Amino acid sequence: MFTTSGRLLDTGDIHVNTILKSQVEYLPRTRRRLLVAVALIGYPAAVAILAGLKHTSLNRWLILAVFLLLLLPTVATLFIGYRYARGRIDGRARLDERDLALRQQAYALSHRVLAAVLIAATAITEIYLTSANTLQFDANSFWPVTAWVIVYIPALPSLMLAWIETDQPAEA
Amino acid sequence: MPDNQRRVHNRLAVLRAERGLSRKQLADNLGINFQTIGYIERGDYNPSLELALTIARLFRLPVEAIFSLQPMTPLSDEIFREPPPAVG
Repeated sequence: MFTTSGRLLDTGDIHVNTILKSQVEYLPRTRRRLLVAVALIGYPAAVAILAGLKHTSLNRWLILAVFLLLLLPTVATLFIGYRYARGRIDGRARLDERDLALRQQAYALSHRVLAAVLIAATAITEIYLTSANTLQFDANSFWPVTAWVIVYIPALPSLMLAWIETDQPAEA
Repeated sequence: MPDNQRRVHNRLAVLRAERGLSRKQLADNLGINFQTIGYIERGDYNPSLELALTIARLFRLPVEAIFSLQPMTPLSDEIFREPPPAVG
């Protein structure tokens, strides 16, 4: 699925210049948005299903296998999001004025999404505490939250860039 | 392009075709990415004043011949439009 652009391959005496288009860069926006949605929803959904399965009599290894299987689309879509925005979010590629404006928009949208998630998490915690009065914060709840912070906060700008950018024009 | 931004119309695609330039060639001359040319042509991105003036200088045309806030009329209409009849 992923290709390299402009790489020189040494095949004996012949240098073959392979200019191969990256399919990820030309993904239509509707498909990109679908992938971003999977990336954002996948992990919380997998953790919620894992929490539900823990209370069943299923074998632990089977639960782990189901969890990893659910996690797979999230990892794949996060990678595609990273690949799509590679060099543009971290500024390693040569950015022109449109790229810089787009990067700024992506960071601004990431900030808004993060703020919305934090407000929602605080509100849910508050409602839960009002009804149950206690909140147990142990390894079972700490690690999913930590993993979310470690994975999603750095990935959010790339995902938001993939979300907002319109379909890329052809080179012609 | 953000929803609150006014669209700037342009003749970039026509001028580029007239001069037989690809998006990549034009972008290389301007020092920008070729996608940006495509986005400008499509009206998805409004160039900065600096970029608009650089494009105008490259084509040796006044900036208002390339960019406009009103939809562009075909160039042939402008070139071959009959002058208004003389009064008197």
